[in-house]
Amino acid sequence: MKRFIGSWRRSILLQVTSSSIIISILVTLVTGTLLYGKIRDGVYREKNQTAVSEAQALVNYTQAQLDATRYRTDIVLSTVISGIFKAKDVSPTTSVRETIMLATPQTAKRSLKYQGSSNKVLISTIPQSLRMKVRKNFFSQSIRVQIRYADRPGESIDAIAIGRVVGIPPKDIYEIYYLFPLTQQSQLIGLIRGYLLGTGVILVLMIGLITWYVIRRVVLPVREVAQIAEQLTAGDLGRRLEIRGEDEMGRLAISFNEMALSMQQQISRLENLSRLQQRFVSDVSHELRTPLTTIRMASQLLYDARSTLEPSAARSAELLIAQIDRFETLLSDLLEVSRFDAQAAILQTADTDLKPLVLKVVDQLQAHDSQSFIFNAVDHEFRAVVDDRRIERIIRNLISNAIDHSENLGVTVTMVQTEHEVAISVRDYGIGFSERDAERLFDRFWRADPSRSRVRGGTGLGLAIALDDAKLHQGTLKAWGRPGRGAHFVVTLPKSPGIPIRVEPIHPVPVEELSTLMANLDSEDI
Amino acid sequence: MTLILVVDDDEDLAEMLGIVLNSAGYEVDLVNHGDDVLEIFRANKPDLILLDVMLPGIDGIEICRQIRAESIVPIVMLTAKSDSREIVQGLEAGADDYMVKPFKSSELVARLKVRLRRSPSESGSSLRIGDITIDQVAHSLNRDGQIIGLTRLEFDLLVALAKEPGRVFTREALLSEVWGYQHVTDTRLVNVHVQRLRSKIERDPDNPELIQTVRGVGYKAGAVR
Repeated sequence: MKRFIGSWRRSILLQVTSSSIIISILVTLVTGTLLYGKIRDGVYREKNQTAVSEAQALVNYTQAQLDATRYRTDIVLSTVISGIFKAKDVSPTTSVRETIMLATPQTAKRSLKYQGSSNKVLISTIPQSLRMKVRKNFFSQSIRVQIRYADRPGESIDAIAIGRVVGIPPKDIYEIYYLFPLTQQSQLIGLIRGYLLGTGVILVLMIGLITWYVIRRVVLPVREVAQIAEQLTAGDLGRRLEIRGEDEMGRLAISFNEMALSMQQQISRLENLSRLQQRFVSDVSHELRTPLTTIRMASQLLYDARSTLEPSAARSAELLIAQIDRFETLLSDLLEVSRFDAQAAILQTADTDLKPLVLKVVDQLQAHDSQSFIFNAVDHEFRAVVDDRRIERIIRNLISNAIDHSENLGVTVTMVQTEHEVAISVRDYGIGFSERDAERLFDRFWRADPSRSRVRGGTGLGLAIALDDAKLHQGTLKAWGRPGRGAHFVVTLPKSPGIPIRVEPIHPVPVEELSTLMANLDSEDI
Repeated sequence: MTLILVVDDDEDLAEMLGIVLNSAGYEVDLVNHGDDVLEIFRANKPDLILLDVMLPGIDGIEICRQIRAESIVPIVMLTAKSDSREIVQGLEAGADDYMVKPFKSSELVARLKVRLRRSPSESGSSLRIGDITIDQVAHSLNRDGQIIGLTRLEFDLLVALAKEPGRVFTREALLSEVWGYQHVTDTRLVNVHVQRLRSKIERDPDNPELIQTVRGVGYKAGAVR
C-alpha cells in the first residue's frame, strides 16, 4: 500500500488515470441511476395505464355477464364466473391476468358466500387495506402486490392489483380484483439494468484507457526529458533528447538540446579558463622563481660580505635580504591563493595525530617570542585524516596572527575533540577587532588598522589561505573578537574527509566572554 | 678538487651558482643547453650534477635517466615547481635529491656536502643484510659472489638501515641520516628511493625481505641469513 502511494505520488500518469476513472465511475453511477429510474417508472406507468383500462373493460364485461345470469346459486355462479375468468378479447389489449372475486361481508351474511380465484391464486394475495378501500369506495387505485399460488408455495410474482365491485341483482355485491403480473416488465427492466451496467463499466474502462494513453503520450517525453536532465546534472554533458515531430514535444526537445549545448559550451569555456589560469599560475611560478633564486643568492653573497662594505652598503644588503624573504613568502602565498581560485588545490590526506603537529608550531613560534604561551589539550591523541601541510599552515597562520595582535598579553592554544570532529582554537587578549571588521577579516590583503599593521610583516593573505585550507577539508574557521578584549579563532575539522561537521567542540565565543555576555543579559533583564 | 656540473638554461642563475659553489671550494662546469650535457659529463666526469629540470633540448628528466644508465654520480635536481608530479618523475628517473627554487645558498651547499661526503668506513668493517654482504671500504655489494651496482645514495640508504638491524627507521630519521634534512617530512623522497633500492636488491620487489615496511612508522632491515 505504502509502495503504491509512493509510486502514485511520483507518477502523473497514475494520478490522472486513477482520478479520471474515479470521476467517470461517479458520473456513470449518477446518470445511470437517474436513467434507470426514469425508464423503470415509464415502463410501470405504461403498464399501469393499460391495466386500469383493461380492468375497466373487464368489470363492464363481468357485470354484463352477471346481469344476464338467471340461476343465482353458488354453483351456477362459479361456472359463470370461471367462464368470465377465462374470457379473452374483452378489451383491445388482453394481457395475462389473474382474477379474484369475493363476496363482500354484507353479501356473505345475507345470501351467497361465493369466493373464487383463477389458477388457485391465494385470496391472501389481496391485502386487507385494499379490500377495505374497495368495500368503502367500490373502487381502488392500482397498487403493487405479490401474487402467491396455493399450489406453488414459496413463489411470488410481482404484479399490479386493481380492485372494483360488481353487483348481482337484486342486491348482492362482490369485490373483484384484477392482478396483472409484471413479469415481462421486470424482465425488460432487468435487461435494461444489465445493459446500463455493462455500458457503464465499458465507458469507465474506455475513459481510463483513453486517459492513460493520452497522458502517457504527454508524460513519456516529459519523463525522458527528466532523465536526460538528470544525466546532464550528473555531468554527462553530451546527452541530448531525440527530436520527434514538430509538435510541442518536438519544440521542447529542440530548445532543451539548445540549452544543453550552450551549457556544455559555457562549462567547457570555464574549464578552459581554469586550465589557462592554472597554466598561468604555473608559468608565473617558474618564471619568477628562477630570477628570485639568483637574486637571493646574490644578496646572500653581499650580506655575507657586509663587513667589508661601507656602512650604507652593508645596511642595504641587510634590508635587501629581509625584503627578499618577504617577497618570497608573498609569492608563495599568492601562488597558493591562485591555486585555490583555479580550484587546483589538492588535499593530500593521511591519518595524522594533530597534537604533535600543533605543538611543533607552538614551539617554533614560541622560540621567537617573549610572551607566555598556554597549550591546552586534555586528550593524549587527536587523530584525523588531514593534509598535514595545510593544517600546519592554518595553525601557523592563526598563531602568528595572534602573536602580531596580542600586545604581549599571551596566547592560548586549545584542542578539543569529539567522535567526528577536532577543533583547535587560538585565543589572544590583545587589540581584538570590532564586529564590523569581523566580516572582512578573511578578505585578502585586508588589515584592521593600516597604521600599525606591517610591523611583523605578514603578507595579509594568511587568514584568507587558512580559511581556504579549512574549507578544503570541509571544515570551518570562525572568528570572534572585541576591541581591547582580544580575538578567538576556531578551526573545526572533520576527522574523516568528506564528512560534514555536525558539532563544534569549541564555540567561537570564548567561555569567559560567554559568561560576561550572560551577566550583561541578566543585568539588562533587571 | 671536487667538480660539480651545473646545468641550467638561465645563464645568470648558472653563473651565480658558479660563484657560490666556487666560493664554497668547488670547481664548476656550467652548461646551458640540454643537448650538451651528456657530452660534457662524459668528458669531464664531474663528482656531482646540479640539474635543472626544465631545459631546452633534452629535458632534465631524460638527461637524468641517461646519466643514471651509465653512472652512479650523485644528481641533485633543481625545480621551480613544488608540484609532486615533476619531483616524483625526477626521483624515479634517478635523481638523488631535489631543491625547489628559490633556495638559499647555505641550504644548497649543505645539501651538496651531504651528497658528496664519503661514507666513513669503520675500520674496514663489512655489514650484512639478508644474504647480501656490504663492503664499506670497496663501496660494493655482494650476493653469492655477484656484485650488485648501487648509486651512492642507495648505498648510503642501505648502510644506514643495515648498521642497526633491529631498529625501525622513521622516514624523518632516514631523511636526516641519508639526505641531511632537518625537521622536514618529505615522504616522496624516501619512498621513491626505497622502491628503487628494492628493485635492485630484493629477489621479489613486491614481497620485500631485505627492506621491510613497518606500517605507519617507516622501514627496517631484514634479518641476516
